[in-house]
Amino acid sequence: MSASLSLVVLDAVDAAPGVRSLSLADPSGATLPSYTPGSHVVVEIPAGEGRERPLANAYSLTGESLHPDRYSISVLHVPHSDGGHGGSAWMHTLGVGSQVQVLPPRSAFAPVRPASRHLLLGAGIGVTPLVSHLRSHARWGAPVEVLHLARPGQGAHLDDLVELGGDAVTLVHDRATWLTILRGRLRAQPMGTHLYTCGPAGFMDTVVAEATVAGWPAGRVHLEHFGIDALAPGEPFTVGVDGDVLDVPSGVSLLEALEEAGREIPSLCRQGVCGECRLKVGSATGLLHRDLYLTDDDKAAGDCVMACVSRAQPGADGRSHLEVLL
Amino acid sequence: MSAPAPPHYTSVPAWAREPVVEPVDHAGTSHSVLSVGPDGAAAAAHWLDALGCAGARVRHHDCADAAQAVDALETDLADALVGHRVLVAGSAQACLAVRAAAVRAGLSDAELRVAVTTVDERSVWCVHCHATNSAAAELEDVLACAGCGRTLLVYPHVSRRTGAHLGFMVDAEGPA
Amino acid sequence: MSTVHEARGVTHDRSRGHARTSPDLIATFPFPFPQTTYRYSTNVEPGRAAVSTPAGQWGEAVVDIDSEYHHELAERARILAVDPSRYAVLPHMHVAAWDAALDLMRELALTHPDQCDLTLLERGARPTYRWRNDLLGIDHTFVLGDTDTLPPEHPEPLGWIAAQVQEDIVLLDQRDGVLYGDAGVVTFAADWSFGFDVGMTFLEIHGPVPRLHAEGVITRAHEFLKRLEPGEVYRRTNWTLTVGRRLDVSTELYPEWGPDREWVQTLDDEDFGRLVHLRVEVQHLIRLPESGAVMFLIRTYLLPLADLAGVEHWRLRTAEVLRELPDDMAEYKGIAKYRHRTADWLLAH
Ligand code: HEM
Ligand code: FES
Repeated sequence: MSASLSLVVLDAVDAAPGVRSLSLADPSGATLPSYTPGSHVVVEIPAGEGRERPLANAYSLTGESLHPDRYSISVLHVPHSDGGHGGSAWMHTLGVGSQVQVLPPRSAFAPVRPASRHLLLGAGIGVTPLVSHLRSHARWGAPVEVLHLARPGQGAHLDDLVELGGDAVTLVHDRATWLTILRGRLRAQPMGTHLYTCGPAGFMDTVVAEATVAGWPAGRVHLEHFGIDALAPGEPFTVGVDGDVLDVPSGVSLLEALEEAGREIPSLCRQGVCGECRLKVGSATGLLHRDLYLTDDDKAAGDCVMACVSRAQPGADGRSHLEVLL
Repeated sequence: MSAPAPPHYTSVPAWAREPVVEPVDHAGTSHSVLSVGPDGAAAAAHWLDALGCAGARVRHHDCADAAQAVDALETDLADALVGHRVLVAGSAQACLAVRAAAVRAGLSDAELRVAVTTVDERSVWCVHCHATNSAAAELEDVLACAGCGRTLLVYPHVSRRTGAHLGFMVDAEGPA
Repeated sequence: MSTVHEARGVTHDRSRGHARTSPDLIATFPFPFPQTTYRYSTNVEPGRAAVSTPAGQWGEAVVDIDSEYHHELAERARILAVDPSRYAVLPHMHVAAWDAALDLMRELALTHPDQCDLTLLERGARPTYRWRNDLLGIDHTFVLGDTDTLPPEHPEPLGWIAAQVQEDIVLLDQRDGVLYGDAGVVTFAADWSFGFDVGMTFLEIHGPVPRLHAEGVITRAHEFLKRLEPGEVYRRTNWTLTVGRRLDVSTELYPEWGPDREWVQTLDDEDFGRLVHLRVEVQHLIRLPESGAVMFLIRTYLLPLADLAGVEHWRLRTAEVLRELPDDMAEYKGIAKYRHRTADWLLAH
């Protein structure tokens, strides 16, 4: 779990109906860490105003990825009626000078560098990671083609697409036309092309289905799921050790909690891979292992955990507790 | 089937240890079938039948040797579109050489199928003089390098980019 | 020492060992044995943390410069001139090569601010930088991605930066859930061939190592590396023994250095202690931002037994580890013929 960055809103504009574009910068104006094209940041959204618990929303970065002086994101407002949890509504309340906590950029949708050509297929707000791909391809002179679906008058970043991609960009406003063009383009890509898609789940399902019919092997098709693949901070639980009971809050690992209580636990990677911090478990309401070290058999036996990443899970009575034997 | 591969043979494809015929990938929309030598041609016949029945678009190249197959592959790939698949039939040595050309051209493992007729011959690259030897040799056999005369161990380590095995001097340390 | 040279017909004496080890090489030696026994494990830990040893400390810098800087860079240049296959950048790795150069310049500037400085002169799609490395008299302005702006004697970013750091460099491309070793400059390999391995997957590269696969060490390492994020720096150590102060023990040159493993057994105690070196690699693992490649840095340190024995803890611990090491691991490391004599030597000195 990397430490979050404290950033301020430098710029906020309504980029398209329902879409607010924000630039986040270091308060001192320092250059922010460079990131891999297609990366997202996770913004921490506090509880309150109808949000039962803090939320963590992922947003693709759309600006310059090298030595950025700001992180640019575009937020589509998702109302409650469409399954929103109030996170994007909160993001829309931010104005210049507002403070936000942001986890550093994470890459889960990187361009494949050996590709001889890149086919970018977006819809609606799914344009955002594709803009950053396009910037990188323009920088390195990689052949690229963009097919983007947006409702008339509603697309954010369409000007960016045209500026960066020029003739290589096709904008389409209705789904029937889009599907016809898509089918043609999928059958006209030179060997060595990779495709990238981002948009609503139904849209991406269509892209994958059409690509499969056109003979594309899965390895050439890349989807942005907006998954938060970082280890989540997790729910709080308690740990019993030699008769003491310690609290392990959300965002704190079992290893850190034990260390804070003055217990010495061997550790190296703090990522659940090296095996150093293995602890014996006496009993537990439930275990969330999350490590790469233990075998499936170890995990099934339930008598050990990796203190750096594993947590207790609630049992039948709703309590989350774990007894460790040091 | 032979015994499972020793765990450290990570770079040696299973089909370079034991002949195998992989099935046609019917998800492909067009195919290059490359057969090397008479045995390769016989092995490719099943594929051609299967593809013919399915009405697929096929380019068939009946090649005398691996070099010819590599040329044919490069020509086909120059104007091939995504959806294309490559099938190679012949000795493991020929299949490794064609795979290497496919890898250099950016093909993924999923886009290549092989029918291996024999695993007796191998290409062995001498790490000391950079000569590539072609010889009948098992993994972990020794052979004399045609380039520098050293006695090479045929190491179970295979390059994706050349299809050759790593060969290094087996008796460099002198008396054991 | 000179009699030893003549007996072996060795012309360049640096490969046979220093007459006297410079004190900084002892003070910064990354002693690799935290435990009394050694087994393979996915021994990765966060980088940039200093580790104290009885002789000093190591580990604060990702790119480490010591008193061997100029000598090792000259050695790398010599090896590359003789055998260009120690350098490779597959065509799709040019972005990673620029990335690596920038990252290593930043690291050098971080740890040697008085001699090294990287200034971003112009932001944008093709940023312009000024790079100064006073240690080598370099002061050069270049544009990212434009090889025409590089010094004419180093018209390619990876070669340029490899001529300025003591570390060997491997760049791994990540695609379809797999890491591929697709570029690098490796002149100081410990019994492997970079030129042969280039283009292989991470799992294929590690094929020859015993135990790793059965024990899941390398698949865990692969999973870990795939999740590494830009800005994160991890490191691990690896070790073996080397006869002579010989950095290039690549498989390419095995016929040249292989006989040393026999010959070393015939040496008297004094020569044995000067010539047998504990060889430690400090390996850093860094995700590069623009390319998404993983940069693997291998920095090799060599310390003769004679100096190792000067530190009581090192002397005893090394002997203990060498005695207990399982045969298959000793065999793979190429030390089976003289590890027991090495342990005995240490215990007797
Ligand atoms: C966490 C990461 C890694 C772990 C745990 C690991 C582990 C190991 C181990 C235990 C060995 C055997 C060493 C010995 O006994 O002397 C080894 C060898 C080796 N490693 Fe790694 N390694 C890692 C990363 C890498 C990377 C990124 C590369 C990139 C090229 C690499 C290249 C090699 C090579 C070339 C060898 C020698 C193999 C041979 O004999 O041909 N390693 N590694
Ligand atoms: S510290 Fe490495 S697994 Fe926990």
